[in-house]
Amino acid sequence: MLRRFIVGFGRHHVIRNVSLTVHAGERVAILGPNGAGKTTLLRTLATLQQPLGGAAQILGAEIVSHRRETRRHIGYVGHVPHVIGHLTARENLTFLASLYDLPTSKPRIAEVLNVVGLSDLADRRTRELSRGQLQRVAIAAATVHEPEVLLLDEPDTSLDRDCARSLPSMLDKLVPSATVLLSTHDPTVAASVCGRSIMIDGGYVRELDAPRNLPPVRPEKPRHASAPFFASIWAILRKDVLVEWRAREQGPPLLAFTLLMTMLFDMAFVIPAATDAPSVAAGVAWATLVLAASLSGVRLFGSERDQSTMTRLRLTPIDQSAVFVAKYVVLIAQVLAVGLVQLAFLSILLDLQLFQWGLIATLLLVAVSLSAVTTMQSALALNTRARELLMPLLAVPLAIPVMLAGVSATLATLQGGGMANTVPWLGLLAVIAAVFLSLGIVLYPQAVET
Amino acid sequence: MGLAGLTLHGRQIGRPAVFGWRGLIAYTTLLGLMPVALYMIFLFAPPEQRQGEVYRILYGHVSVAWLAFLAFGIVVIGSVMHLWRRDSRWDSAAVAAAEIGVLFTTLTLATGTIWGRSVWGVWWTWDPRLTTTLVLWFIYVAYLVLRMYIDDVTLRRRVAAIFGIFGFVDVPIVWFSVQWWRSLHPVQTITDGEGLSPKMLATMLITLAAFTIFFLVVLRQRYLLERASEESADLHAMVRNRIDDERQAAIPSATGAKT
Repeated sequence: MLRRFIVGFGRHHVIRNVSLTVHAGERVAILGPNGAGKTTLLRTLATLQQPLGGAAQILGAEIVSHRRETRRHIGYVGHVPHVIGHLTARENLTFLASLYDLPTSKPRIAEVLNVVGLSDLADRRTRELSRGQLQRVAIAAATVHEPEVLLLDEPDTSLDRDCARSLPSMLDKLVPSATVLLSTHDPTVAASVCGRSIMIDGGYVRELDAPRNLPPVRPEKPRHASAPFFASIWAILRKDVLVEWRAREQGPPLLAFTLLMTMLFDMAFVIPAATDAPSVAAGVAWATLVLAASLSGVRLFGSERDQSTMTRLRLTPIDQSAVFVAKYVVLIAQVLAVGLVQLAFLSILLDLQLFQWGLIATLLLVAVSLSAVTTMQSALALNTRARELLMPLLAVPLAIPVMLAGVSATLATLQGGGMANTVPWLGLLAVIAAVFLSLGIVLYPQAVET
Repeated sequence: MGLAGLTLHGRQIGRPAVFGWRGLIAYTTLLGLMPVALYMIFLFAPPEQRQGEVYRILYGHVSVAWLAFLAFGIVVIGSVMHLWRRDSRWDSAAVAAAEIGVLFTTLTLATGTIWGRSVWGVWWTWDPRLTTTLVLWFIYVAYLVLRMYIDDVTLRRRVAAIFGIFGFVDVPIVWFSVQWWRSLHPVQTITDGEGLSPKMLATMLITLAAFTIFFLVVLRQRYLLERASEESADLHAMVRNRIDDERQAAIPSATGAKT
């Protein structure tokens, strides 16, 4: 139900004062020319952007104040498929099912894939699929959790004629009792799928048909849950590791960059005496790692954004902070891996024994604290222009204490000062990690929700 | 369509921010106090025994340094309040304070390096105070740059507020880490030894008062400018939306439908 609902961008109202009630189980088509605001209306109802005024309720819950509750009950197909290219259609759906905490997901996934006609292509990576096939994956992804409300933004786009024609029967099988709001330019599609239509034009909504053939109100189904916090983290983590394993998008360039920077810094320092080698090693190691982490931070959320999969994550009812923690763990793993290789490289360049317990502990804590600083800055840079250039500017100043603590702990270890000199620095690194991780978990949802 | 009767944030459109009695008092005090402060710095205060005349720069340096920290304190308060209350006025206060904070930090660094070159013999050293101030400068320059690179106004305010909080939290961590890292602590030059002479102390306090009033006046003006800019954008959108409304109302069939 919409009551004097206003949607738009920034300060500009696209649709004004819409008051509309759609009954449970009804299918309503939204017609209108380009730029009328159909997509904006559906995105706002899907909780992907904030309304500018009025109120909207889905299944009795106000969508802004009950965002997670709303997300449990909606499915959304947008203009882009929001699927992960390096995963297969089945893996995409399995990942989503784990975020919705579906208890019996395998048969449901098989059923959904069968209905959208992708059984044969279910185990092919989605980046190898055609646009039309991707649209079918998108429909499957929007319906795998059997939403009570389905929002379809021009779902017939890119579908071949047969598939577009079979859309009504597809919906009957996938979500037989769901309320459907479908936007389209095509009155034929509207008539074939929906019982009534509304027209958006000039920012207002006109009813083209009176509500008719209202289905009887059904008893409420048991509502879906969302995955618990740590289960969500685990699901995102597994997905990220699998994607990185297949794409090798971040690891190799990051490693090469780090080794190159290490070589460059080492060349630039003229070492007058062997006694200065520990100092050079400490400085080069952690300054390079700070740069590498800020570079890695660009891709941490950027790759999700490029594939529009951030939108898919935001559509799920999970606690969004789980995304932050999962990305944080991914970055820790990257920094640790790069740091270990770098220590080996520096050992050779400077003829030092760098694999000592004190240094391994320092590396571990540097990775933990540096990642806490960088992950949040990466999230902040997500919706900026030129984020590749902006990222070092945001992350490096905040990471300076990490670098200093790393340098000092390394020097204390290499100069044989014993653990007593190293421990305070490790403590500082732990404090930095705790402070920034806590702030990140609390503030992350505000940074990404538009 | 006229603008008569339109209100924005409870204020009638067209009524400018009033230069009220508080502004009058602030400007008058500033005009009176600043020449006095300059007189005291350059003519009234005696030369310092070891540093000679160059120490006079520290009256301004200390004042702008403390006001820069105050400005960044205002940024974090504005940021927290904006995230809590979602009121754009807090964001305006934060951005105004951040700009002035960066300006004052630049002045702090500039005056500090001039003094350091003369007294320490170097333009720069990685001492805790200098390092923290420089890192602070970078953080709030990043804050201002970040704002320029986000188009969506709501998101810009929110992201900047989060970064403002992160930046401020980082400052004490930088301070302690640099302090532990470097044992070269600068002596507190002015209060070293026998402390400030009464004339020096009076000069310092008057300078501090004059700069603080200057800071508050500039902060207020920058805040009002930011509000004017925000309100102008709001007004522009409001007029555009109203024109759209009226245009639509002229079409008989296109009324907001109700079911």
